[in-house]
Amino acid sequence: MSQLSRARRRISPNRVNLSVRIGTLELRNPILTASGTFGYGDEYAHVVDLATIGGVVTKTVTVKPRAGNAPTRVAETPAGMLNSIGLENVGLERFRDEKLPRLRKLKATVIASVGGETPEELETLLRALGAEEGVGAFEVNFSCPNVAAGGARFWADPARLERTLAMLKQLTSKPLIAKLSPDVTDIRETARACERGGADALTAVNTFVGMAIDLDQMRSRLGKATGGLSGPAIKPLALARCWEASHAVRIPVLGSGGIASGRDALEFLAAGATAVQVGTATFVEPEASTRVLDEMREWLAANGHERVTELIGAFSAEHAQEHTPRTTS
Amino acid sequence: MPAAVRTWKQVVAHVREHRAYGPGFRWLELDVPAGFAAPVAGQFVQLLLDFPSPVLLPRPMSVASVAKRGARLSVGFLYAPVGAGTRALSELAEGASLHLTGPLGRGYPLEEPGTPVLVAGGRGVAPLLMAADVLARARRRCEFVFGARTAKLLVGLDEARARLAKRGSKLHLATDDGTRGFHGNVVQVLDRLAPRLEGPLVIHACGPHGMLGAVARWAMSNGARAHLAMESVMACGTGVCRGCPLPRSTEARDRVRAEGAQAAALKGNPDWAMCCTDGPVFESRELDWDRVE
Repeated sequence: MSQLSRARRRISPNRVNLSVRIGTLELRNPILTASGTFGYGDEYAHVVDLATIGGVVTKTVTVKPRAGNAPTRVAETPAGMLNSIGLENVGLERFRDEKLPRLRKLKATVIASVGGETPEELETLLRALGAEEGVGAFEVNFSCPNVAAGGARFWADPARLERTLAMLKQLTSKPLIAKLSPDVTDIRETARACERGGADALTAVNTFVGMAIDLDQMRSRLGKATGGLSGPAIKPLALARCWEASHAVRIPVLGSGGIASGRDALEFLAAGATAVQVGTATFVEPEASTRVLDEMREWLAANGHERVTELIGAFSAEHAQEHTPRTTS
Repeated sequence: MPAAVRTWKQVVAHVREHRAYGPGFRWLELDVPAGFAAPVAGQFVQLLLDFPSPVLLPRPMSVASVAKRGARLSVGFLYAPVGAGTRALSELAEGASLHLTGPLGRGYPLEEPGTPVLVAGGRGVAPLLMAADVLARARRRCEFVFGARTAKLLVGLDEARARLAKRGSKLHLATDDGTRGFHGNVVQVLDRLAPRLEGPLVIHACGPHGMLGAVARWAMSNGARAHLAMESVMACGTGVCRGCPLPRSTEARDRVRAEGAQAAALKGNPDWAMCCTDGPVFESRELDWDRVE
């Protein structure tokens, strides 16, 4: 990487072409917000210029409204946070009637996140939303760690993923992005299954299942025993999963997990991601996504890269022979 | 009610003053740049330490005073350094910078007609010091009930007393162990005080959730209104992460369901209110006090 960068001379940041492509969807740059960390887009619109970032992935919508889990829903752990929200959302009907009209007014590329406990529920969602204006792509949440049914464990079955995506593919002409759980023996298997099923892209990864115990009360620091861990604590773990996934498939991968700086984002690109999602960092700093974008552009300019696509997979290109990605030994 | 216009923002603030405020507590006064909306009593902000901070997330903190200084604001906080975040905060020297997000949430409706009764439990006194300031500026008399388990938990009592005296509030102290003021709790003080006051009473309270539940029940059975400032673990503080649920009452649940059925109304979750955006101040009838933790 250092050889690659030192060989170039600094260029003006304005000259850096940041656009990337996810299936048929062109993004003005590779920085998106992660589902569940940016609401339905308009909550942060007064502090973040949505026209500058690559896109907004909305809070996961399910067929029926979900009230979410009982408290406690969040707990901070070293360099990270556990959450057990439980997919609280307004449900399909209100998403379509109330949220979508607002989303269409945003100057943002919108990726709608959909979640289902069964393939049939996802079918219902895609039949209802598949042709809606104002949605650039769908991210299918196959990896929520906090729901009793239809969560990460249910969807960790490669055959089920493949069948479901093949069915969903018939219901929309928009790109389908499959969001994967990191808590599998080999993410390459779920990644390949999604590709075979017709997914246009993958997101790697959702939160890691984690827990924290209050010893004084001998109970979980969450309402449930476990939650999903996010934040800087998971970045090295997520990066490895993203690397493995992106080298197992030909479709683009969106990297996600602990990204809080331009350099973090570039590491995911170097590992093979085409775009990245900023999540927990937004809770700390509402404008994190635009800062990450500025830092990324600045690094690319300082290192003479005219196109961000030059970075995609740059690490693996140099080290292809050195490593064979493995999650188990 | 239409969706609120969002006015919060994140800014860099500087420490103007940082000192002990009674044993075990600190007063933090921040210099806040122009453009930050003035918080009202009961609202909160998120305080985020600069890198390297021992904690990741910002910490929600109730505002204890606001003064305008030209276009800038001076915003005061009363807190106890008890966790990793507040301990690191307590080490900030004058002139140090930190990030401030706010103002957040809904504060006390101090303009509500009636006789204002402010009820504080322990360090819950913070937003009520500010409420007393606001009422005094509006030339409204108020009763100030300040309770704690024991005398030394009447946070910064001497300072609070001096400040409240200036504002003309009548102070009523109570301790569970009788080491200061009335020997009993704040609800017993309300029982004794209420017959002497002109109704309707409007209570504004902050303190431990057990105390707030007792005050809420007292208000509901005595024909008073009560506005209770709640606490919760939070991540974003802005309504996005859905991380700070409080159980709605049956009455509130039915109302939210009915409002949600009207296409134009963008109301929240019928089962759970979010402490950060639906609160942190709730009227007594909004929450299911049997299920509040």
